[in-house]
Amino acid sequence: MIKLLLTLLLLICLIPASEAAQLQETSFKNGVKLIVEEDHSAPVAMVQIWLKVGGRDELPGKTGLAHVFEHMMFKGSKKLGPGEFSKRISAMGGNDNAFTSTDFTAYFETVPSERVNEVLEMEAERFANLKLRDEDFQKEIRVIMEERRMRTEDDPNSRMFEELSAASLRLHPYRNPVIGWMQDLEKLTIEDVKSFYEKHYVPGNVIVVVVGDVDFGQMKETVSRTFGRMQARPALARFNPVEPQPFGPKRIQVKLPAQLPMLAVTVPVPVWKPAENDREAAALALATQILAGGRAARLTREIVDEQRKAFGAGAGYDAHGMGLDLWYAYGMLGPDQSAEAFEKSLWALLDEMGMKEVDEKRLNAAKRNIIAANVFAQDSLYLRAKDIGRMEVVGIGASNRDRWIEAVREVTAADIKNTVGRWLKRERSTTGILVPEVTP
Amino acid sequence: MKQRLFAIILLMLPFTAQAVPSIQETRLDNGLRILLMEAHNVPMVSMSLVVPAGSRFDPEKRGGTASMLAAMLADHTARHEHKAWADMLDADAMMLGSAVDNDGMTLSLTVLKDVLEPGIDALTEALLMPGWSEKRFTILKEDSIAAARKELEEPGIRAAEAAAELIFSNHPYGHRSEGSLASLQAIGLSDLKALYQRQVKPDGAVLAVSGDITMDELKPLIAKALSNWKGTPETGLYDIVRPVNVIGQQADVELPTSQTQLQLLRLGPERTSPDFFPVFVLNHMLGGGGFGSKLMEEVREKRGLVYGVYSYFVPLATNGPFVISLQTRGDQAAEAERVVRSVLSTMAEGKISAKALKATKENLTGSFAQRMDSNRERVALIAMIGFYGMPLDYLSQWTRRVKEVSLQEVKDQAAIYLDPEQWNRIRIGSDLK
Repeated sequence: MIKLLLTLLLLICLIPASEAAQLQETSFKNGVKLIVEEDHSAPVAMVQIWLKVGGRDELPGKTGLAHVFEHMMFKGSKKLGPGEFSKRISAMGGNDNAFTSTDFTAYFETVPSERVNEVLEMEAERFANLKLRDEDFQKEIRVIMEERRMRTEDDPNSRMFEELSAASLRLHPYRNPVIGWMQDLEKLTIEDVKSFYEKHYVPGNVIVVVVGDVDFGQMKETVSRTFGRMQARPALARFNPVEPQPFGPKRIQVKLPAQLPMLAVTVPVPVWKPAENDREAAALALATQILAGGRAARLTREIVDEQRKAFGAGAGYDAHGMGLDLWYAYGMLGPDQSAEAFEKSLWALLDEMGMKEVDEKRLNAAKRNIIAANVFAQDSLYLRAKDIGRMEVVGIGASNRDRWIEAVREVTAADIKNTVGRWLKRERSTTGILVPEVTP
Repeated sequence: MKQRLFAIILLMLPFTAQAVPSIQETRLDNGLRILLMEAHNVPMVSMSLVVPAGSRFDPEKRGGTASMLAAMLADHTARHEHKAWADMLDADAMMLGSAVDNDGMTLSLTVLKDVLEPGIDALTEALLMPGWSEKRFTILKEDSIAAARKELEEPGIRAAEAAAELIFSNHPYGHRSEGSLASLQAIGLSDLKALYQRQVKPDGAVLAVSGDITMDELKPLIAKALSNWKGTPETGLYDIVRPVNVIGQQADVELPTSQTQLQLLRLGPERTSPDFFPVFVLNHMLGGGGFGSKLMEEVREKRGLVYGVYSYFVPLATNGPFVISLQTRGDQAAEAERVVRSVLSTMAEGKISAKALKATKENLTGSFAQRMDSNRERVALIAMIGFYGMPLDYLSQWTRRVKEVSLQEVKDQAAIYLDPEQWNRIRIGSDLK
């Protein structure tokens, strides 16, 4: 759980502060976009290829395809044999990997900067000429099922969050796990994979991000003769339905072999739309920081330390998604702690924050921590590139990253009260309880 | 976010040599070593102070003592009770943390440059003015016990616990650093105080620093803060007996999971072993090198049996564990184990190609620089070098040492370490037969 919380904090805090280097960007005729942040402090570079396709773009019955596709990208293309991509990166002294989320798929390589051109050539080659062989797919889908067993089936907390997300949303595709439901994984075919490729792996969905010891002019040239030469094809508008408003609280119980209960609450909340809701999104981020970030986190201080209603608690909000975010809070319950008592304390705290302004000192500390985390994140090429790609791919635009810090600075105690009061309400929530099933 | 592969924990940290910034060294009169690597690109400073007070110093049957001591030191002080302490750190966004592993206890700090001095004051206060609040101890202990109970459902944790017991039995490395449900219950505040008195001393301790600062700026700040700290730990880092070699043992733990977690394990080399580099390269070829490794190729890529399979060894003050780990659907575990054992025996017999060795070395030497591209990573490396007394030019020599490893050396180490008969086995899962 701590990991989950840390990840979330990182996501909240990723936007570089104003001292971040200048972004340089350009677009090509076929729709490919290039964004470069030059940093000449070490002879390395991070290359990230971002695709506007993720779990949300899958059709019912075909969940998991975006992630399956991520695996297939390593299985060879016209000029590269299976596994050869990674072998070549490795021989350059580089590392490569990829990740898939609800909103995007991204492939990345860290390499000595003089090899960036070669990497971009290889990336463009596999994007344009991927070989999708059934025998590779049959092996890889087994690997993915093992991945699902490891991450979800055998982990009571993940399983419970998966069920809770599905119960929280009626329409929005965030209700499906990115890795896919096992039932769907069992039925996917190479034909599904091929049609997904045709539909989504088009130049208009590609954003190339390079951060490190490179020259923008040179990058422009390289991308223009690699990704820039891919044939233009129409990029479909992304599926982004409006989730119907909740009409009352919902509850689920998940019975699983587990040692102890856990309770989690989700609430659909808005994400950041620059110039539309800057203060509201930043206020949600700050409220979440006050609840769950730093050493003085109120969930820990009040509910864990003072009231002893849980042995661990946290909350999370990601302002940088598309359409909506599932805000969450959870409590880990010890042998003598009850889900009911924790739930009561959690809502008492949220209700209070919706009625009473937070202490100015606490608000300032929360702001300072979010801004400092942005500076600390500048220390890593990976996080810097990821932040740029992510803001771009969800439609916020990387050029807005300083605006987020401004928005955080401007939030007042009244904004937090109003925002919490408006969104984090029982009647908008879904509650999930992990009920340990005693095994014989 | 679904990562294609878990970040593989490379406990021996491959780092690289081209233009490695040098490590500057100074020492206070009380014996504390200060090591610094300057990095002026981001206005921040990270540091770690390491003392020989890791979990091997836990009293018998009270595993987790060092871990609880570390938590208490970071939680509050004699001058600030825990709320005031937390508020103070948050007000300046000072990231103060603590951790233990088998050998060492670490207090760490990451701050913006403009609050470096208050940051050092906070680190000093945590280190030298423990608060020993009974109330906070009770809360931290109860929460650790509940967490340990929750962890009983995690296959990885169960495997780690079983592994430590199996290959180290009564040796000080024979339990998880975090302690277990039973051992945590036995710990009292007096155990923490005693450990603190015995081991938390400046002579032999290391303060590793990376960030936007020079030694001329740093040393006076540290001298002012830590000169009055005195003493030598009762037990030195290298005062430790060698563990007895355990061969061909097995242990199973039943858990109602769909996968079986399989670990093969044995003793590996110690940090100062002259064979470190050949074994390091060997492990990278075996299962330490991610997708390029032999185990990934055979178990995942060719047969689709696992999401990940990896190997690592933990070089400690004396022999640490050497582990191969995978998870697969219960009914495939035996097949996966056969494949792993056949990879081991092939390599032990010396069937290792010059081409594969070359590819491994290229990957290791080429990726060195990027392993050092953040202050946090650099501090971890510098702290390791200082704590284990490695030569200060270790980083700049690293690439050369890797390149010098010969095919014969790798084969020799494979014959010593990879004989399948010598490995022990842990399985966690259901219906184990």
